[in-house]
Amino acid sequence: MKSYSFLFWGYNVVWIGIAAYVAILLRKLKTLDRRLDRIERRLSGERKDGP
Amino acid sequence: MDRLSHPVTVALLVIVGVLMLGANFMVFLYAPDERVMGAVQRIFYFHVPAAMVAFASTFVMLGASIAYLWTRRRIWDNLARSATELALLFCALVLVTGPIWARPAWGVWWTWEAKLTTTLLLGLLLAACVLVRSYADSAEKGARLASVLGIVAALDVPIIYRAVDWWRGQHPVVFGPGKKDPLAPEMRNTLSFCLLAFLSLYALLLLLRTRIACHEDRVQDATEMLGARGESA
Repeated sequence: MKSYSFLFWGYNVVWIGIAAYVAILLRKLKTLDRRLDRIERRLSGERKDGP
Repeated sequence: MDRLSHPVTVALLVIVGVLMLGANFMVFLYAPDERVMGAVQRIFYFHVPAAMVAFASTFVMLGASIAYLWTRRRIWDNLARSATELALLFCALVLVTGPIWARPAWGVWWTWEAKLTTTLLLGLLLAACVLVRSYADSAEKGARLASVLGIVAALDVPIIYRAVDWWRGQHPVVFGPGKKDPLAPEMRNTLSFCLLAFLSLYALLLLLRTRIACHEDRVQDATEMLGARGESA
């Protein structure tokens, strides 16, 4: 192992942290997408059925 | 089409992944050891791009805050909110990586030197922007206060940049007006590559965070419309 192995692992811990943050953002976006689709379908359905 | 498969998002995800792997390769296998500091100098390739991206994000926040105060359009507030959070994230990386380098180089984790102190001040102002949005009486009031605070925070960036010149601090100055580039070509290439990786990561995060903020607005509007018809979402 080289003397800077601690730096290598430090870097990778940060990259993994950032990757986890990206994954959380993607998951949140997906959840919001589904929720928005559901609400918009209900709203558009009502408009079609309405007077 | 699933909105997650937005081609720009997918392309950025792939590009960021490849650039991050490339950055690790260049930092640990391509760049040479610095003669005086040795291995710990490699933090430089992380610390400097993180600082540059934090400053860039602060300027995005500044532009979006001014645009929001001018037009009161929510899209600008969403962009300002996203840029503030990301500026805080990268500023935190700067404030963590700096002391890791300072301990072996200066013998102390922290010193109340001008550049460090003004950077800490930027972090605190950005945190205040985030908190103001969270705890304001109304979203509109929070956005207005955070925009004003964001403009004040952005004024700190040029002060950080010139702090060493103005107050003769001990923080190293690698680049700046009248400075001769002291980096070896391999070091300069590695720094440029890492900066590119950080900028692409920032673009991805800003895109995702702003889309989430816009979606939250749309969900809230649609929920209110349902509520007005006596239904719950």
